[in-house]
Amino acid sequence: MAHQAHAYHMVDPSPWPLTGAVGALLMTSGLAIWFHFHSMTLMTLGLILLLLTMYQWWRDIIREGTFQGHHTPPVQKGLRYGMILFITSEVFFFLGFFWAFYHSSLAPTPELGGCWPPTGITTLDPFEVPLLNTAVLLASGVTVTWAHHSIMEGERKQTIQSLALTIILGLYFTALQAMEYYEAPFTIADGVYGSTFFVATGFHGLHVIIGSTFLAVCFLRQIQYHFTSEHHFGFEAAAWYWHFVDVVWLFLYVSIYWWGS
Amino acid sequence: MPTCTNTHTGGQRSKKGGTFSAQPKSVYYALIGLFQVLSLPHLASRAFSTTVRQMKNKVPDCQKVFLEDNGLPIHIKGGTTDVLLYRLTMAITVAGTGFSCYWLLFASFPKSKA
Repeated sequence: MAHQAHAYHMVDPSPWPLTGAVGALLMTSGLAIWFHFHSMTLMTLGLILLLLTMYQWWRDIIREGTFQGHHTPPVQKGLRYGMILFITSEVFFFLGFFWAFYHSSLAPTPELGGCWPPTGITTLDPFEVPLLNTAVLLASGVTVTWAHHSIMEGERKQTIQSLALTIILGLYFTALQAMEYYEAPFTIADGVYGSTFFVATGFHGLHVIIGSTFLAVCFLRQIQYHFTSEHHFGFEAAAWYWHFVDVVWLFLYVSIYWWGS
Repeated sequence: MPTCTNTHTGGQRSKKGGTFSAQPKSVYYALIGLFQVLSLPHLASRAFSTTVRQMKNKVPDCQKVFLEDNGLPIHIKGGTTDVLLYRLTMAITVAGTGFSCYWLLFASFPKSKA
């Protein structure tokens, strides 16, 4: 049996990059077919394929790291760089929507009444549910840090409890925001105010759901003894992502909800 | 063969979140919901401590399975379920590619007038 003379991970050949790429093709072309020919089959197939690919690809990474021991310190360093670069790309994604908001709100056109918020728009009170949402996400930042320290100190029960609390707070935020969306006195079609509001907060909400899912996977892995007090990068990546989601909300709250009202 | 893709989480209490009345944007109602949520941990700890006690550490068994020198690639090394899931995924990939080619051809030609 040949043994490698280095600490890096030469991965087994995998079909998931191909299936993922085809899934993306089906979702995008399926979207166009849905728009023009009213058939959702292609898009649905693409979504199923994407979900299957994500499940199996990440399952394989867990197997390679936790069960085969391939995630040596140099490999882990690469994973850290990867997660940091990914979050940086997401920062730039949101920067674009903040640019759009400030472009329209700093110099409101005559069509809007020359003012911001535009004439006719009833804004949400920033000191009602949006402030509660801020408190919920800040609290979840505390609980996820508590979970991290619990993992590092080998406290299994506390890790499980604090991680569960973090996920519950994330779900609570999502439920509150869904209620706000339902009750809002304006829609996405209400000019540039509606567009910037719902696209920016909508993409943020999607990231909260993604972050909550990531934390939930970490919760299941913690219950199954996958993490050790020294090696738990999957959890750290989830915690970084969660802090990023929290910070984006703070910018959204100050810019759109507070200053923008 | 141990089911290393087991996602058993034990008993979990369902979230008894705040009841959302149709009253909009009342911080009072939302805070009630938050207090109910925050009371969950002491309830959850009872359920979770049972879960914690019952869950056995199956990681060594999984390590044995995935370190076996059988030449299988990681994506099918777990057993029959892996193979079935892989075949399902590949089937959707091939069928989907064919389907998207069909729709491309359909969309490329002008619609025949009835």
